[in-house]
Parts: sequence; structure tokens; C-alpha cells
Amino acid sequence: MTVSPRPVVELSGVGKRYGEVTALSGADLTVHRGELLAVVGPSGSGKSTMLNIMGTLDRPTTGTVRIGGHDVAGLTDRELSALRASTIGFVFQQFHLAPGVPALDSVADGLLYGGLPRAERRRLAERALRRVGLGHRLYHQPHQLSGGEKQRVAIARAVLGDPPLLLADEPTGALDSRSGAVVIELLYELHRAGTTVVVITHDRDIAASLPREVRVRDGRIEHDSALPGAGAAASAPVPVLAAGEGTR
Amino acid sequence: MTLLNEAREPSAPAPPRPRPARMTPADVVRVGGSGLRSRPLRVFLSALGIAIGIAAMVGVVGISTSSSEDLDRRLAALGTNLLTVSPGQSFGGGAAHLPAESVEMIAGIPEVESASALGRTKAKVYRNDHVPREETGGLTVYAARTDLPATAGAEIVDGRWLNGANRNYPAVVLGPKAAEQLGVFRAGSGTQVYLGGHRVTVVGLLAPNELVPDLDSAALVGWPFAEEELDFDGYPTTVYTRAEEASVADVQSVLGATANPENPSEANVSRPSDVLAAKQATDDTLSGLLLGLGAVALLVGGVGVANTMVISVLERRSEIGLRRALGATRGQIRNQFLCEALLLSALGGLGGVLLGIAVTSGYATYQGWPSVVPAWAMAGGVVATLVIGGLAGFYPAVRAARLPPTEALATT
Repeated sequence: MTVSPRPVVELSGVGKRYGEVTALSGADLTVHRGELLAVVGPSGSGKSTMLNIMGTLDRPTTGTVRIGGHDVAGLTDRELSALRASTIGFVFQQFHLAPGVPALDSVADGLLYGGLPRAERRRLAERALRRVGLGHRLYHQPHQLSGGEKQRVAIARAVLGDPPLLLADEPTGALDSRSGAVVIELLYELHRAGTTVVVITHDRDIAASLPREVRVRDGRIEHDSALPGAGAAASAPVPVLAAGEGTR
Repeated sequence: MTLLNEAREPSAPAPPRPRPARMTPADVVRVGGSGLRSRPLRVFLSALGIAIGIAAMVGVVGISTSSSEDLDRRLAALGTNLLTVSPGQSFGGGAAHLPAESVEMIAGIPEVESASALGRTKAKVYRNDHVPREETGGLTVYAARTDLPATAGAEIVDGRWLNGANRNYPAVVLGPKAAEQLGVFRAGSGTQVYLGGHRVTVVGLLAPNELVPDLDSAALVGWPFAEEELDFDGYPTTVYTRAEEASVADVQSVLGATANPENPSEANVSRPSDVLAAKQATDDTLSGLLLGLGAVALLVGGVGVANTMVISVLERRSEIGLRRALGATRGQIRNQFLCEALLLSALGGLGGVLLGIAVTSGYATYQGWPSVVPAWAMAGGVVATLVIGGLAGFYPAVRAARLPPTEALATT
């Protein structure tokens, strides 16, 4: 057996209940380094819950979550914060850019909690902005940017520290189709450069266009294109299905 | 399950537990200030609340300090070693009098630098002999010893003081109020007033005397002249004494017995500088009241800051969520909002101290006082605002920190 690098995300038998409502149950998912995949499903399907759990913003009610090899259940809130700072980049539908703050400073905030000195953060921020094609918009404030540009600023902020995992929650949800296509192309570029990208979306077209598609419905993973028998197989064997069934 | 574990075992060893990085103090302040920069009007208004409270307190302390500094300087110029003795009530209830030799006896105390006296006469003074007798104008005629000015601190502004030559003759020195009432503006041989049935020449005019205000409305004649021409009984009614600065209290305690050894209780001893200081002290009640009002204003300002912070936390839930997603710990979120509250109130505190200094120097200049704001009042003002800011910001900051990240992100 060869020593393989740890998967970036490992969910096994993950469930989440809010009171009587089951948002997610028995979810098994393994994401390997360098993958680009879509988690797709209608609203209320549990994909946002999956995003929160993968992003360690929320803890599961049942099952195990490993992010970058860390068992989330064994980490304190402080340690989870540090894990997010070092391992996970987030892109949200609403961009979350502070009004009145120049793009460069917004992006530099992506490493605010990572312990780098300010000058270094700003240097990396400039590089990240150039990487997303916004080298000419360094000092523009959000109201001076188009929706697509705002989302690219947000992506620059998320990938500033080269996190092993990029979680994009409906990254094109607030954009017209042209800007959306630019953003998807940008995610592809990041993927080609080696970043692991998970796109959460309700848009089946986008999901179908990505190399791997995980469909979620009614709190369950309905279809994973990486699993054997589901069409295109992933490069690494994923022994999670059997184990997942066993733990339920 | 076993299969799963075996599949994992050969992979890379468990990574070290992640540890949050410390933010530099400069970053903490910068992040705390970022929330203020984006809402300047609200920051100005809630800092203003604090500023008014601090300005009121600094102003009250500054004005009362300036006023007492002014008194201190005046007293330093006047001297605080003047003591006076006057006859009180006799045991039988009648008016007592001091022995004629009391001045010499007091002057015999080793710590006494000088002693002099005034004796009240029953004579009246008028502008001329046509003025009706009853229009005395509240002026009093005193017999004065020639050594009075040095002891009582009386200053001559025109002419000269009574001396060995003119004390036996109809000569008078007028206090400023007396001179004004009698229509006398210049001393000299041509200026006469009608005093006790005699035409008396005004030889000198006195400057206003803050320490011995009685002299202001007095007409002062020589002791021998008073005894011979004005039916003066020769008993001093006020003895003025300058004691050595270090022994004022000792002299004060023996003065009554020395002035009137037979009936020490019939002599009233007082220290005019104390009277001035006591007049000042009555203002302290008002100062206390104003200080209390300032404290209330400060409290209201603190509530304003708390309110601003609570609203700020409510409005910025998504920012909190984003920061949590970027890796901020609960402590870092709490510190951000605490720092913001502290900056907000420190802004108000500094503004308030400056405003208080401006109010103090404005009022002091208007009053002709030296303008003094004690350092402890300024430092205290700033420290008070930091305490208020910390208290006001604590609850909102803790609330912000406790907000679960998913909930914070869900609100847009």
C-alpha cells in the first residue's frame, strides 16, 4: 500500500439536526487535493449545511469530519479558527466586502488572522489581485467595482494564503451570466494551479460542467460522479461508501 | 470500520494541532478603528456625549482651581498673617471694650511683628456743614494709630498717611468708598470735609483694602485729635496684628487673653484671610453640584456608547461571520469590538478634556483669573472615559464574540 497524501476533506456518516429538523444525514464525501467539484442541490437540500460543516463553521451532530487531516471533533473553537485561517478560503454569494475599504485592504484582511506582518499581507494581496486580473483596481472601493469584480476581489481574499481548500458558496449567484462565466473560469484557473475547489451551487449547468458533481437532495448525497458505478471515476479509490453504510 | 482505519494508517502522520496566531497591537487598533472610520457621523455624535460629560467635569474642576489659584495669589500678596481682635459681648450682655493698653500688650508677644489699632468714634462725617445731620451715608469715623498702614496693609493712593505732625490737628484720611460718598477725589490742603463739627482737611486717600474692607468706608483721624475733639473714649475697637507666618496659630490662641487679660472671653479674635477663604468655600457646594451633573452627563454618554456598540454589532453580523470564516477566534472578535468602544470613548474623552480646557481658560480670562487645569483632572477624565468605554463595550463585544459563525453569515 502506498503512502498517499491525506484527503483535504473527509466526511463520514455526517449528519446535522436542528432540533427536530434533519438538515443532513449519513453524508460521506472525500475530496482529494487538487480536485474541483460541485455540490449541487435545490435550496433546503442540505448543501449549505455541508458547506458550513466542511468549512468548520458548524459541527456535525453525528459522524466524523476531517479537514486537512484534523478531526474537527477533537479541536476547540480556537483551534478551529486557526484551522480556518490556515487551511480554508471562503467565497460567499454576497461578496462580504466592507464599504469604503479599498480592494487591496479587503484582500489583505484575508491573512489578518494568519500572523503575517501587514506589509507582507499587502504585498501578497497585490499579487493575488493581479492573479485574478484586478491589478488595475487595487485602490477601488466596492461601490466602484462591478459585481463580477467584487467577486474576484473576494476570491483573491480567499486564496491569498494559498489555502489547501477553497469553498465557494454560490459564487455566481449574485452575478449575471457573463460575470459568472468569468468567475467560473477563474476557479478553473485556480484548480489548474493546484488549489482544491469546492463549489456549492443550485445551478445544475455549472455543476455539470465541473469535473466532479455531488448532488444533494433532502439532506442526503444522492449522486457522486466520482464513485464507481456513477460514471467517471476519480483518480483515487474512495472506500467511503461501504464504510459509510456500515456506520449508519 | 476496520477497513477504513487500515486504509488511513499508512497516510501522512497526524498534523500538529492548529494554533491561532497572535495579532499585533497595531493590527488590533487598526481593526478596531476600521469600524469607526466607516461611520463618522455616528462616531462623532456618540463621542460627543462622552465629551460633554468630561468637558463639564474638567471645566468645573478647572474653574474652581483657577478661582482658588487666584485667591491664593491674592492672599499671598495680602499676607495671611493678619489677625484682628475686637471686643465681644461682656458677661452681662453689654458691649465690652478692650483695655486701652491692649495694643502694647499684644505688641509684647515675641512672635508678633507689629500691632496697631482703630478706635471707633461716635462722630459723623459730612461733605459740608449744610448736609442734614441724619445723612451719615453709613460712614464711620475711626481714630487710627499712625502705624496702622503697615499692619493692616492700607495703601495711600493720594496724599499721605497720618503722622506725628498732623495727628493732633483736624486732618483725615478717607477710604475709597467714603471719599466717593463725600465727593472727594483729591487729597490736599484745599479739600475739606465736615467731621464731628469741625472743618477737617483731607490729607490722604486709601486704596481699596480686600483684607480689611471696614477701612473702605472709614474716615480716619489721629488718635489724639479724636480724644480731644471728638469725645473718643480712647479704647481700641479693633486691634490689627501681624504675626510671624510660622506662629500665626499660636499667636491666635493667646491673642484674646493678651488683649483683655481680665475677661479673655470678651475678645473676638479672627483671621481675615480665613474669612476670604471661607467665602471661597461656599462656592464648593455649587462646584460639587456641577461635578455631579458632569458625572451624570458622562454616564449618559457611556450609555450612548453602549447603544452605538450594540447597534454596531447587530448591523455587522455578516462582517463578524466573515471574520470568523477568515479565522478570527472569539477572543479576537471580542477584542475588536472592545477596542472599538475604547477608541470611541477615548475620542470623546480627549475631545472633552480639550473642550474643558477651552471653557476653563475662557471663563478664567473673563474673570481675570490665572487659568489652571490640574493634570489629575485631565488624566482622570481620559481614564474615566476608558473605564466607561470598557464597561459600555464589554457586553456588545461579548455578544459579538458569542455569535455562531453560521448564524452571523446567514444574515445579510
